[in-house]
Amino acid sequence: MSAESASAIPRSQVDLLDFIDWSGVECLNQSTSHSLANALKQGYREDEGLNLESDADEQLLIYIPFNQVVKLHSIAIKGPEEEGPKTVKLFSNKEHMGFSNVNDFPPSDTIVLSPDNLTGKPVLLKYVKFQNVRSLTIFIEDNQSGSDVTKVQKICLYGTTVETTDMKGLKKIEDGH
Amino acid sequence: MVLEATMICIDNSEWMRNGDYSPSRFQAQSDAVNLICGAKTQSNPENTVGVLTMAGKGVRVLVTPTSDLGKILACMHGLEIGGEMNLAAGIQVAQLALKHRQNKKQQQRIIVFVGSPIKHEKKLLEMIGRKLKKNSVALDIVNFGEEDDGKTEKLEALLAAVNNNDTSHIVHVPPGPNVLSDVLISTPIFTGDGEGASGFVAASAAAAAGGASGFDFGVDPNLDPELALALRVSMEEERARQEAAAKKAAEEAAKQEKGGEQPSSSQDATMTERATTPASGADNKATDLMDDENALLQQALAMSMDDPASSHDVRDTDMSEAAAVDPELALAQDSTKDSSNPADMSKLLADQSFVSSILASLPGVDPNDPSVKDLLASMQSQSETDKKKNEDKEPKEEDK
Repeated sequence: MSAESASAIPRSQVDLLDFIDWSGVECLNQSTSHSLANALKQGYREDEGLNLESDADEQLLIYIPFNQVVKLHSIAIKGPEEEGPKTVKLFSNKEHMGFSNVNDFPPSDTIVLSPDNLTGKPVLLKYVKFQNVRSLTIFIEDNQSGSDVTKVQKICLYGTTVETTDMKGLKKIEDGH
Repeated sequence: MVLEATMICIDNSEWMRNGDYSPSRFQAQSDAVNLICGAKTQSNPENTVGVLTMAGKGVRVLVTPTSDLGKILACMHGLEIGGEMNLAAGIQVAQLALKHRQNKKQQQRIIVFVGSPIKHEKKLLEMIGRKLKKNSVALDIVNFGEEDDGKTEKLEALLAAVNNNDTSHIVHVPPGPNVLSDVLISTPIFTGDGEGASGFVAASAAAAAGGASGFDFGVDPNLDPELALALRVSMEEERARQEAAAKKAAEEAAKQEKGGEQPSSSQDATMTERATTPASGADNKATDLMDDENALLQQALAMSMDDPASSHDVRDTDMSEAAAVDPELALAQDSTKDSSNPADMSKLLADQSFVSSILASLPGVDPNDPSVKDLLASMQSQSETDKKKNEDKEPKEEDK
């Protein structure tokens, strides 16, 4: 299933960065010098030089809990053309998955990224499947070139909260089309 | 004080009958396992340890990761030697056991004892190592026993595949007179646990050093117990002094120590308590316990003969704390044995470095905690009032 990119984020969607519960964030198979913070955190992810890199092989398993229930609308993944992620599976509300049981559950959504997506354009998700998300697990299965190391420069999650709405965040994010 | 879940993989294959480690490879391995379990559970009370055997009929998990030291030690009894070790299966089962640990916040670690030849290919081991690294499981390898060509190479390859930022280690223990446990104590397998464990371990090393299998002083404890005891005591004193000097930078805390020192020695009841608390002795050697008890008994007698009144002053705190710190306290007793004078006792308490060394070995006490620092400050002033009290009491007694 190829990924549809959104030309602009609809007005109600905000960057869910503020709702991430950082104490529970985990990433399996990340290289210690190139950790998840490089791809998720505010300042680091904008820096081109800082990437999240995989360690023993090309797969990555990222677990992101939120501090409240959110709806996930789209996701933007930015990475280098060669080693950027290709097949990405998203699981909602599955705690503490490991590489061994990641194939036991059907993912809530699967996206296959093209090099175009990797420039950072948001990819629309099956919104109906992400209505009640407490935690998100991102499984990066392989990368564009099939190399042993997958590099991710930025991961952005867009959506809304269910109970509260952050009024400051409500602004139209244009993607320049 | 890392929060960790550990699985220990024991080699109980036929190769373990060999006696090149005293008393036998299997016995030495068991002792080392007991020591590790104790150290892990002491360094952080929420740590869990599990044990499995790799040989025999097949890989068998004896106990799933638990923080109950008694359960772990109990399952080590009645283990049979036989069969061939299956290293790959053992590590994989250990990984599975860790995956299903109850507290997901614990770091995962596997400690494997390899004493027999490895029949697996290097490639297979590397693959297993990579899988462990991918799931962020650390691996400690104890290479002892058989020196098979290629065994060391395979284990080094396994370690290289697993090692992530130096969290995994390998230790080679060649056969010889040195006790396996003692060699392990100085390795990162123990010292990687941080201060709490190393304090415990050093203390148990002191206890173990005088054990029956050692005869470190060239004197048979059976033939001349008093001499052996005296030698051991002076060695422990020296060690305690060195430890105190090394840990001088640590902060102090109060009540736990102050009371802890006295009551544990001067009561017969506490000796039985000591015998039962697992924290007090990593080793099951009855002889060591007996020696410790004798030392304490003599200490108690000496002090009660000198000044029964003053020993009451400092007796008012938790005995459970005392039990936990026993080996160190025994050292404290011994060092004060010569000058069993009440004034000296308070001097000892006032001796910051000594108190801090006691504290550093107490589990669950963080010397840097501000509340702990406050307690110490109050203790300091209290020890001074104790001194005054003692001085008051002595003239009173003289009056009588």
